[in-house]
Amino acid sequence: MSGVTLSNVTKKYGQVQVIHGLDLQIEDGEFCVFVGPSGCGKSTLMRMVAGLEETTAGQITIGARDVTRLDPSQRGVAMVFQTYALYPHMNVAENMGFGLRMNGVPKDEITAKVAEAARILKLEPLLDRKPKALSGGQRQRVAIGRTIVRGPEVFLFDEPLSNLDAELRVDMRVEIATLHKQLGATMIYVTHDQVEAMTLADKIVVLRDGRIEQVGAPLDLYRDPDNRFVAGFIGSPAMNFLAGHITDGQLSIPALPDAPTLPLRLPTDRTKIDFGIRPEHLRIDPAGAGFRLHLVEKLGGTSYAHLHAPTGERLIVAEDGESDLSDDMDVGITFDPKRAFLFDTKSGMRLR
Amino acid sequence: MPQHQAKRLALSQRQAALILLLPFMVVYGLFLVYPFFNGVWISLHDWNLMAVAFNPDAKAFVGLQNYERVMWGRNITWGAFASPALQVIGLLGMLASFLLYRSGRAGRVTAIAMGLAALLLFVLPGFHPGEGGRWYDRRFWPTVGNTILFVGLAVPGVTITAMLLAAALNGETRAKAVLRTLFFLSQVLSVTVVTLIWQIMFSPRQGLLANVTELLGGSPIVWLTAEGFAMAAIVIATIWWSLGIAMILFLAGLQDISQDLYEAGALDNATGAKAFWYITLPNLKRTITVVVVLQIILHFQVFGQSHLMTNGGPNDTTQVLVRYIYQTAFRDSELGRASAMAVFLFVIMGAFSILQFVLGREKDE
Repeated sequence: MSGVTLSNVTKKYGQVQVIHGLDLQIEDGEFCVFVGPSGCGKSTLMRMVAGLEETTAGQITIGARDVTRLDPSQRGVAMVFQTYALYPHMNVAENMGFGLRMNGVPKDEITAKVAEAARILKLEPLLDRKPKALSGGQRQRVAIGRTIVRGPEVFLFDEPLSNLDAELRVDMRVEIATLHKQLGATMIYVTHDQVEAMTLADKIVVLRDGRIEQVGAPLDLYRDPDNRFVAGFIGSPAMNFLAGHITDGQLSIPALPDAPTLPLRLPTDRTKIDFGIRPEHLRIDPAGAGFRLHLVEKLGGTSYAHLHAPTGERLIVAEDGESDLSDDMDVGITFDPKRAFLFDTKSGMRLR
Repeated sequence: MPQHQAKRLALSQRQAALILLLPFMVVYGLFLVYPFFNGVWISLHDWNLMAVAFNPDAKAFVGLQNYERVMWGRNITWGAFASPALQVIGLLGMLASFLLYRSGRAGRVTAIAMGLAALLLFVLPGFHPGEGGRWYDRRFWPTVGNTILFVGLAVPGVTITAMLLAAALNGETRAKAVLRTLFFLSQVLSVTVVTLIWQIMFSPRQGLLANVTELLGGSPIVWLTAEGFAMAAIVIATIWWSLGIAMILFLAGLQDISQDLYEAGALDNATGAKAFWYITLPNLKRTITVVVVLQIILHFQVFGQSHLMTNGGPNDTTQVLVRYIYQTAFRDSELGRASAMAVFLFVIMGAFSILQFVLGREKDE
């Protein structure tokens, strides 16, 4: 087992640069999730680690080996594809053993390894079936089994759960987490779903437009986002933002009549800012005023109240339990100023 | 549209279907079904083309005599090793299909089809004239043999060439698109043009092949009149001619294979030739079946290449079934006998059509 290091990794398609000189260290045995919106380069980056995309410049090392120019099969990686990419003409056992077979591993050794992987993933009764005769979840497991059999240094998952229905997705998420515990191998996982990222990752890498926005443990990103993008991307429902500005060291937010006093040093020159607060850190004050309650989504355990500010901006407030609020009420909001963030509108960077 | 209004205009689905099918049914019946049964009917008569043309009563019902005259002979016997090479291949084929089925490498239908073909290969060449016997028609079976040889060479030739071409030209570069068009272009030529081109190619004086041979210091082969080469020449021209459709079918088949599989293959150390063998080929199985059966049906009807390039010669080595039928009917005016041969050809092609139908419906187990 070994870690993965990217140094100044760059990818260009012709003149178009999609990955802009990334540096990243993934420790041995770490579960690292690349997350970001579509087109942010997360899949490309993983495929570069796999060797399916050529690296234009920079260096990728796995363990102590420089793999930047190696063939995919020589890198010691195995990958679970979004479409599973099972060989349709082979049964489950053949699918799982194919990599070893291509590498000249003796037959009985292949059989033993396939049996072991089948045991871990509870695939034993399916070994003779063709992929066509399997359900989505089973195919997914076979695809994972195929990587386990290979015994790679690094596991790669390319949005593996996106083709499954919601319920199965939760199950498989737990299974993948369990698997990581069992195997203790380095895993890289690509997703656009921040819930998957939060629940699975030891380390999240938030990407946007081919650049790393922030790297850190899930809760660190949640508690301490570096910029507006990360703040808005991590957490569900997303963080609320209200426009405001700072003039002469004075914070003013049009939607909030009494500007809160935040425990941070405000810049002295005039700056446009975004005020950010998470839905779960807001409270509704039924006695207050200024916000119109547009809609309440009651999920049982939590309720999401959608508010319209006088400025037309929208806010979501997450309340525990069944809310007794009703639509079209006029309410106020309260929050702990320590939980609020300020971001520079222009640069998106957080003001600390 | 309100319902009562629709009712007045609407035909029932059945009526609409009938009306739409009618033009096709009429043409199909008039030009295919009727002539077919008429052909079968003629094959049961002693029917001289000229005589019947002048006097419709100048035909006589002879039952299956035409078939006997064409396919049978005096004192025909059967021996297990009358034609050892073919019959041993037949025996091995039966054994192979049985073993393949037992080991699960071939589906049931495939195994049965293969076994039947092998059985025929074992049984049919076993018939031969015994002591003092002879075939009534000495040219028929050798002609059938030539046709089968032609099909046996042309079909694998077309299939393999087309598949390799398709694999090589499957891509989005401009050069590949141009080459695809070029290779397909030969398909649109008529047989007359194709044979003309290849007659020039094969010409021992100014032909390209002769020039190349001479350049290499050899003496040019007289392709079209040398007994060992005439069939090869026809087959080569045919492969060049009918490559296009097969290539297009293979390209369609190749594009059906998900790119992910090749990426998974790349991670599994299956690239290049290995990827072709382990990923491309198994996923093209259906396309290969379609191409092979279509080509078999098509090439059993070979006529123009033999008629125009070699005139069936030298020494009847390129005489093929359709050409023989044509000569029997329109040169010898023996319409009855020619029809009997045509029915024989129909049975062969019908068998392959049924095979294609069955294989097409067979599900991947």
